[in-house]
Amino acid sequence: MGKLDGKVAAITGGTRSIGRGMAEAFLAEGAQVVVNGRSAEKGERCLAEMDAGDDAAFFAGDITKQETAEGLVDFAVEHYGQLDICCLNSGGVQLTAPVAQMTDEEWQLEMDWNLNSVFWGMRRALQHMIPRESGRILVTSSVEAKLGKAGIPGYTAAKHAVNGLVKSAAQEVGTLGITVNAILPGMTETDVVVETGPASAQAMGLDGYEELIDMFTKDSAIQRPNKVEEIAAVAVLLASDAARNITGTLFPVDGGTMPY
Amino acid sequence: MGQLDGRVACVTGGTRGIGRATAEAFLREGAQVVITGRSAEKGDQALEEMGGGDDVHFIGGDVTEREDCEAFVQGTVDRYGRIDILHANAGGAANPAAVAELTDEAMQETLEWNFWHTFWTMRAALGHMIPQQSGRILATSSLEGKLGKPGLANYVVAKHAINGLVKSAAAEVGTLGVTVNAVCPGGIETDSMTSAGPAAAESMGMTYEELKAMFAEGSAIKRLNEVEDVAEVLVLLASDAGAGITGSLISIDGGTSPY
Repeated sequence: MGKLDGKVAAITGGTRSIGRGMAEAFLAEGAQVVVNGRSAEKGERCLAEMDAGDDAAFFAGDITKQETAEGLVDFAVEHYGQLDICCLNSGGVQLTAPVAQMTDEEWQLEMDWNLNSVFWGMRRALQHMIPRESGRILVTSSVEAKLGKAGIPGYTAAKHAVNGLVKSAAQEVGTLGITVNAILPGMTETDVVVETGPASAQAMGLDGYEELIDMFTKDSAIQRPNKVEEIAAVAVLLASDAARNITGTLFPVDGGTMPY
Repeated sequence: MGQLDGRVACVTGGTRGIGRATAEAFLREGAQVVITGRSAEKGDQALEEMGGGDDVHFIGGDVTEREDCEAFVQGTVDRYGRIDILHANAGGAANPAAVAELTDEAMQETLEWNFWHTFWTMRAALGHMIPQQSGRILATSSLEGKLGKPGLANYVVAKHAINGLVKSAAAEVGTLGVTVNAVCPGGIETDSMTSAGPAAAESMGMTYEELKAMFAEGSAIKRLNEVEDVAEVLVLLASDAGAGITGSLISIDGGTSPY
């Protein structure tokens, strides 16, 4: 018996990295899962690798577009008949820069990717969940939602904003059987980080991948990156019936990095 | 297969309430568990109700005494050969009053009950966990570890102190396979709340029913939390999956705390 038997989950950006880890953990606990990503090819590969048959589906689309965020929710409802768990997980930066050099275009992209996509997906999911008086919204926030870091102002601002959205929404639907929580991971060694890390290290003038990892984990107590599985385990707990009374919580998985 | 197979845990204040629920959850996940409490009678009753056979053991003692706190940890090691998980859980508010009327004794007793007990058991447990390069320290803090409440300063101070202790210890042992975390539950109607709640309510200028209503009203879920809410989070933190979570003050309060 799984902790999520009979539940349907949708995950933005679920073909790789943290979202993929959540998808696999949810499947292992008995849920049906829709993952999303821009690339149909990566989507097909993800479904093949997860090997979950009819219990997993892919919804293609760019999450920085409103129609994708809303379309994912609608697709999950149409495909599996309902939506119980909505993981608003996708986020990142493209050509980010310090505030003084930030372009309007990059700023807008980072807001669309990290904040607006969460709002669009959450609003649509709540419209489905409120009449059913049941649901779980999980947002992948970040340590940058509580800390400032030089050089990534848009990401930092958007993640701070996402925490506020989570807390407000939690208050709105607290008596309706719906919880809204955020997970705040620290530096996480995902498949994407392993793949792109060496090139990033070179671009940043660092002495290799290890130095890159050290730079992003030196402020943690554990002095190592977090693992996808550690985040996925928290997602399973928050998505399960056992967490019905946990809402509005900003759940750290950061190896002791944030001050509060 | 349980998430805590082969682990040994010590839960202070484990005969009732949050500690009891946690002890039962740890047992269910395969751990061997020591529970502590002041009353041998309540201890025997808990053992009987839990039905864990040789996998659960009671040690009597008073958490406001350092020797007893150290004996809980040593007794766990003596009984089961090691200690992997410490849940410093006992606590409460002794004779709460507004700061202007708060006695030294009420402040001291509450600090010993909550903060000193957490420190004494934590220090003793780290003495075993650091050499074995693995362990989990879990503290029952509170919503009041993050918020002030009028008339409850001794409890608020003690729980804030626990949160500081947790964060410092986490930073010290972060690379040694030992994690240190606190859970911050909202209002839960445990036996402890039923017995101490009326005095706390009086100190806060309200009835016990009004106190419970106040906790519910301050939350998003508009109801109190339950001991099982806390136990499930503690299982996760105690498990292998919790290895990357440390120094965290996790709110289990139905959306009450502002951070």
